[in-house]
Amino acid sequence: MTDGPAAAAPPPLLELRGIHKRFPGVHALDGVDLDLLPGEVHALLGENGAGKSTLLKIISGAVPKDAGEIRLDGHRVELRHVVHARALGIGMVHQELSLIRSLSVAENVVLGSWPRRPGGLVDWAAVRRRAEEVLAALGVPLDPRVPVGRLSLAEQQLVEIARVLSLRVRILLLDEPTSALAERERDRLFEVIDGLRRQGVAVVYTSHRLGEVFRIGDRVTVLRDGRKIGTLPARQADEDLLVRMMVGRELHERFPKTAAEVGASVLEVRDLSAGALRGVSLVVRRGELVGVFGLRGAGRTTLARALFGLQPVAAGSILVDGLPVRPRSPADAIRAGIGYLTEDRRQGLVTLLPVVPNITLATLRAFVRWGVLDGQAERRTADHYVRALNIHPPLLGRRVLYFSGGNQQKIAFAKWLCGRPRVLILDEPTRGIDVGAKSEVFRLIGQLAQQGVGILLLSSELPELLAVADRIVVLRGGQVSGEFHRGEATQERLLRAATVLSAAEAAQAG
Amino acid sequence: MRREESLSEVTVGRPPLGLGAGRAAVQALLLRGGPILVLLLLMGYLSLASPYFLTVGNLKNIVQQSAVTAILAVGQTIVIIGAGIDLSVAAVMGLSASLMAVAVSYWAQDVWVGVALGLLAGTLAGFLNGVIITKGRIPDFIATLGMLSTARGVALILTGGLPVPSHLTATQLRAYLPAEIIWLGSGMLLGIPVAALAALLVAAAGWVILQHTPLGRATYAMGGNREAARVSGIDVDRVKIAGYALSGFMAAVGGLVLTGRLNSANALMGEGLELQSIAAVVLGGTNLFGGEGSVGGTIIGALIMGVLGNGLNLLNVSAFWQRVVMGVVIVAVVVVDQWRRRRFVGP
Repeated sequence: MTDGPAAAAPPPLLELRGIHKRFPGVHALDGVDLDLLPGEVHALLGENGAGKSTLLKIISGAVPKDAGEIRLDGHRVELRHVVHARALGIGMVHQELSLIRSLSVAENVVLGSWPRRPGGLVDWAAVRRRAEEVLAALGVPLDPRVPVGRLSLAEQQLVEIARVLSLRVRILLLDEPTSALAERERDRLFEVIDGLRRQGVAVVYTSHRLGEVFRIGDRVTVLRDGRKIGTLPARQADEDLLVRMMVGRELHERFPKTAAEVGASVLEVRDLSAGALRGVSLVVRRGELVGVFGLRGAGRTTLARALFGLQPVAAGSILVDGLPVRPRSPADAIRAGIGYLTEDRRQGLVTLLPVVPNITLATLRAFVRWGVLDGQAERRTADHYVRALNIHPPLLGRRVLYFSGGNQQKIAFAKWLCGRPRVLILDEPTRGIDVGAKSEVFRLIGQLAQQGVGILLLSSELPELLAVADRIVVLRGGQVSGEFHRGEATQERLLRAATVLSAAEAAQAG
Repeated sequence: MRREESLSEVTVGRPPLGLGAGRAAVQALLLRGGPILVLLLLMGYLSLASPYFLTVGNLKNIVQQSAVTAILAVGQTIVIIGAGIDLSVAAVMGLSASLMAVAVSYWAQDVWVGVALGLLAGTLAGFLNGVIITKGRIPDFIATLGMLSTARGVALILTGGLPVPSHLTATQLRAYLPAEIIWLGSGMLLGIPVAALAALLVAAAGWVILQHTPLGRATYAMGGNREAARVSGIDVDRVKIAGYALSGFMAAVGGLVLTGRLNSANALMGEGLELQSIAAVVLGGTNLFGGEGSVGGTIIGALIMGVLGNGLNLLNVSAFWQRVVMGVVIVAVVVVDQWRRRRFVGP
């Protein structure tokens, strides 16, 4: 593995030497070196908790390093604050969105650097113009006047990226920018990154989609457990090598699929209309893994929310184990045997609380003895799941806040496993999770199916769905537009069902 | 391999910042015992500064005076951990105490009837707070501000604006309040003020509720992330209403104790105690935005306020200056506490 550029390469824009960072209980970064060249896209890979986000946060000034040296243009700098780093031309797009939901798209884009009119008042016309420029450059057709809170997660992500781009950065840090994006938006983002590269901007890029590394990356650095494993040109890397570097061992199956016996139906949805959904019918049987695919706005999440009592149902019926249920609240749905892992994991966890209460939160009743909670039993249960799911570090009393994204997701998972649901709805369960954890999550899903749980997997990741689902239901515009059994589903067929109007519909539309 | 190493490092509990064992103990104290440290420092200083401070009589005085604040603050703790705020505690206390006193002195009711009426009124006022906030979908601050004014008003109507029993009414009707109430506020049991024991009992109840019941757990979850609590099947409206009802009930208990200490109730009793109770909660390390905190901290917070007030009296600081000092100390303690948390609890 070669480290650093060839002799003719330009001097590095940014050099990190021996960066250390400790958080209570973990050595998050253990002497990491990194060089960033002008005009390169540098992919940063590693499993959850490997230290990628921490490293980016240190470069962006959000988190102080404990030891080590940072040189910018050859000069030693101390990045004490985000504002400071930004003034030096370093901008970061966070994995967890940091937008102000009540403000408009335009206000968010220029947040912190409002154009002024003489006299110090904000020049609102210029705000609009600037936002429109940046959004146009990104190729995002968003109305700058709309409050960000009304946008979808993917659109919010684009606004976040637009905001950092509006700062004219020299070093752009992107922490999982594509995890919420659809194919087309991702392509556009790559075009933007390519344009920045040609202008000499250095881009650091983390992603769990290895394919993206080859598509956009010039060099790759792999971290594992806070240490740098190596840096190599993307051309010299292949997926197997990178996965091996990341997990430190051979990974046999990326999407393990366990055969489970499929039994009677556990969930039946008949002509369900709710929100944008119109007349959706589907069946999930015991031990069956049914995938739901659809583009943004097709109604995937609405379906999940309706099943879970979070979205009022206008018409139709829901049957669990053959008995009709009409969940009006999550409590009703849980009682009926439905579990729901939300798309945004922050929506499902109380990050201020430690691991134990988070895992038992949805099943508190089961731990009550004579009116009080049996803390011992809670710990035992949580400990069981922490081991079974390989949650790292295995500290039951640690606040969820301090766990990496993938481990947080496992904790959210454990919460639902605890309740032994009949049906488990998983909304993008692998969003923002690394390869190793993904494979663990799918093994887990397989085990659940073997135990007879019916699983409804909502995902926009076609390879995943194709690999693990027994059946895939495709939604388009709030309606079921296709259903494919395992074997007959292909990427092309699913995409066609999700996007293309049928001949009849096309004729109707005129 | 590396993973195993870091795992064992974690499980043996090596100090996170790589400090030695001795400093680890200091760090643990700084980490958990912030409010206790403030209280100990304050008491240490006062016992040097005044010969009267560390006497049994004075210490009794302090716990007796802190008792009412502590009782209100326990209810306030539950509400604040649930990401709410109860501005009406002192007013509700005045209302329930007035109702109790009016019932026993004007309406010639048995003392237990009066007490039951008072506790019921307090609980009901708190319950109403919760219902108005959740069903009316208005901010906690506004709803309880409204209750503050309403409860004081109703209490004024009930009492006609006079203390109950007043000198006037006391001579005409029944002599004084029943002995049980006086005992609650000023009596002694095994050498300890009954008021302090009542505060301890309320604190114990609050601790059990918060740490050991589903309601308490749900309160932390709701305060930490309302959406996550809801998606986990918690009926957040019910949890909120229950928290305010508990706060109202505890305010009523505080009212009984204060009436016993003052030998009478009046509609405006304990004005300003709502802010004192909030200060005690925050001094005790509870997050004003919800999701974290403890009853133990709150009791320490109430004692800090009690010791400070007492100390300023012993040092002959004028009542005007006392207010200034109180204000400065509250802000300073919280500033230091926030700094301490950022420094010792990671990112």
